[in-house]
Amino acid sequence: MPVIEASDVSKSFGATTVLQGVSLNVEEGEFFGLFGPNGAGKTTLLRVLTGQLMQDTGTVFTAGVPNTEPIRLKQRVGIVPEAETPPTFLTAQETLELTCMIRGLDGVQSRIERWVRFFDLEEKRDILCRDLSKGERQKVMLAAAFIHEPKLLLLDEPFINLDPIYQRRVREYLQGVASEGRTVFMCTHILEIAERLCDTIAVIHQGCIVEQGRLADISRGGDLEEVFLRAVEGGAVA
Amino acid sequence: MGQSLSLRLFKSMMKEEWRLHQSLVGPLGSGLFPAMIFVFTAFLAVVTPLLLSRMPTATILLMLHAASLAYGLFVGNFGSIGEHVMTRRLGQVSMIMQMPQTYPVSFRRMMAVFYAKDAVFYLLYSYIPLTLGIAVAAPMAGASFTGVAMLGVTTLLAFMVGMGLSFTLSAVSVRSRPAGLALYVALAGVVAMIHPLGMIGPECLMPSLGYWASRDLQGIAAAAAASLLLASLGVALMKEKYEIRQSRYGDSLLSVDQLLGFMGGLSTLAAKEWIEVRRSGALGPVVFSFSGHLLAVYLMSWVFESGVGVNLGFNVVFYSGFVGFMGVMTYSFITNLEHNEYLNVQPVSVDQVVKGKLAVYFALTAGVTALYVVGLGVMKHQMGLVPLGLLLAAATSVYVVGVTSYLTGLWTNTMFFDAGIILRFCAAVVPPLIVAEIAALIIPMRPAATYAVVAVSIILLLVSVPILRGLERKWAEASFSFVNTGQ
Repeated sequence: MPVIEASDVSKSFGATTVLQGVSLNVEEGEFFGLFGPNGAGKTTLLRVLTGQLMQDTGTVFTAGVPNTEPIRLKQRVGIVPEAETPPTFLTAQETLELTCMIRGLDGVQSRIERWVRFFDLEEKRDILCRDLSKGERQKVMLAAAFIHEPKLLLLDEPFINLDPIYQRRVREYLQGVASEGRTVFMCTHILEIAERLCDTIAVIHQGCIVEQGRLADISRGGDLEEVFLRAVEGGAVA
Repeated sequence: MGQSLSLRLFKSMMKEEWRLHQSLVGPLGSGLFPAMIFVFTAFLAVVTPLLLSRMPTATILLMLHAASLAYGLFVGNFGSIGEHVMTRRLGQVSMIMQMPQTYPVSFRRMMAVFYAKDAVFYLLYSYIPLTLGIAVAAPMAGASFTGVAMLGVTTLLAFMVGMGLSFTLSAVSVRSRPAGLALYVALAGVVAMIHPLGMIGPECLMPSLGYWASRDLQGIAAAAAASLLLASLGVALMKEKYEIRQSRYGDSLLSVDQLLGFMGGLSTLAAKEWIEVRRSGALGPVVFSFSGHLLAVYLMSWVFESGVGVNLGFNVVFYSGFVGFMGVMTYSFITNLEHNEYLNVQPVSVDQVVKGKLAVYFALTAGVTALYVVGLGVMKHQMGLVPLGLLLAAATSVYVVGVTSYLTGLWTNTMFFDAGIILRFCAAVVPPLIVAEIAALIIPMRPAATYAVVAVSIILLLVSVPILRGLERKWAEASFSFVNTGQ
């Protein structure tokens, strides 16, 4: 059963076309990776899929909700944006409190304790997010996306600014999420990590999906880097 | 090389400013703003001599220069921008101003260029169209075009002195809050020495006004020198390094949320807004600037009355009608504190955050408003009019700030540069305020005018309901990103 259904999605900013007739299905329980060169349209597609941005044409259903209902959609999913921009004047603890209250979650303190411990933020929890390092700010953003344990996670470069210890910790957590039957949709440039995690991938280039399918089928014995280069430089249309 | 770098930075910043405005309000709205200033000023310049035929020219000049100085004071408060840039408070917005973080260019040079850019921007966007507007009516008022041009120069210089003062004061405040506070008190002292003490003339604060008394260029030269000196002082006081202090806060959002439980569904976002106002150091400036603007209305009326030499009988109800108008700047201040981009990924919409800001706005201004109205009632021995004043103040505050939030959302400061938005704002706000103020003025002659003030107040409160409800329709689908390129 697809948890993401995008059909013939196009999006332009002025004269610049960023997405052209993108169609994409992501099944429940998949670990899905979206790859593409800089400026290919990955972040725009993720923002359209999560209702942060409206497409010009086409339809999008995410977690069973059309993206024209962004509040209901965001209630059902967890999103990590491209940039780590938590609130300036709230502490790490308060950012997670705010997330829980906006989402109407119960057991607020126990949820926060879990993620503060997971990211080793015990000593940093009462520091303003403004004064945290980039990596610490990224940890707060990840914790805020994971705290309600959604069935679908949409992550834009989730490993950015994380040191190898936390990259590994997050990677293992995401593998656990997928093994529980939940779904992960991830945009990343780190092909080595993606290769270890993703079972289904799509490559986007110049606003079009140029390769899509199960990694094992697409790679034909090669690695993800070869798939990526072949799709982008060869321009094959799936 | 140094000079050419500054020039290049200046050109790039001008482009950046223009494109920023375009991205927010569109090329038409941006382009029409100076045209609107021109038309509005030309209209005022034509009708003012008819309305104010009894007012001495000296008083009109004083009011124009005082308004320009106040405008400069309002826009020049960017000495703390360095702290915002260096401590990452601008969200994903990436501006030329941020270059000193990674490029071999000093922050002082960047601020000097930024200052020059802002001055030129305001000159092109406000003062040239304003002067041209006055020039249209010059023949009818018997003024020469040279006189109008000189008025443009002297009011611009008053603006530049205000901008320089504000810039320097904010730069000092970033280095030392007590020193900044002391300077603000000193400035208030200078204003008090001009009025009500009358110990010094207004030329001490607005040297370019002196030109009109003697027609020599000394005042203009003094104003130009003062504005340059203040700008240079502000730049010299800029810090090159901003240490990132790790500010710790043991209290929690949950406890503030519980305290505000009576607000129902608004409590969480109102708690967030309250914490932001407090921790950003804006609490004092928000309350003091709101009080200052209300006092400025009283001061301007004093200038008017003393200039004409006739007691116009401005009563408590009349002054109360200005509360909403002054609240616009306070609401704008509150919307400038935080980028809110992180909320793009949470199930919350822009209109909900706007409502949280409105709740904090009313909490911050209600007490000051009540004190202002009651204080004027005591001073003017008009306690009987205080209840009516409170009703009108509450109604205008809810209505005008409601209209502002509806039209501009979380970006009041920038959206008001859109000619379309400012026209809609004026169309919605000016007519009912004029009716209320005229009714307030004639209460002593015709007590029945009290009913008109009550009726206008009730109508404004009733109309505010659909406006505030309309926030959801207007802003529910907007992005929290300042500039939404989507890339």
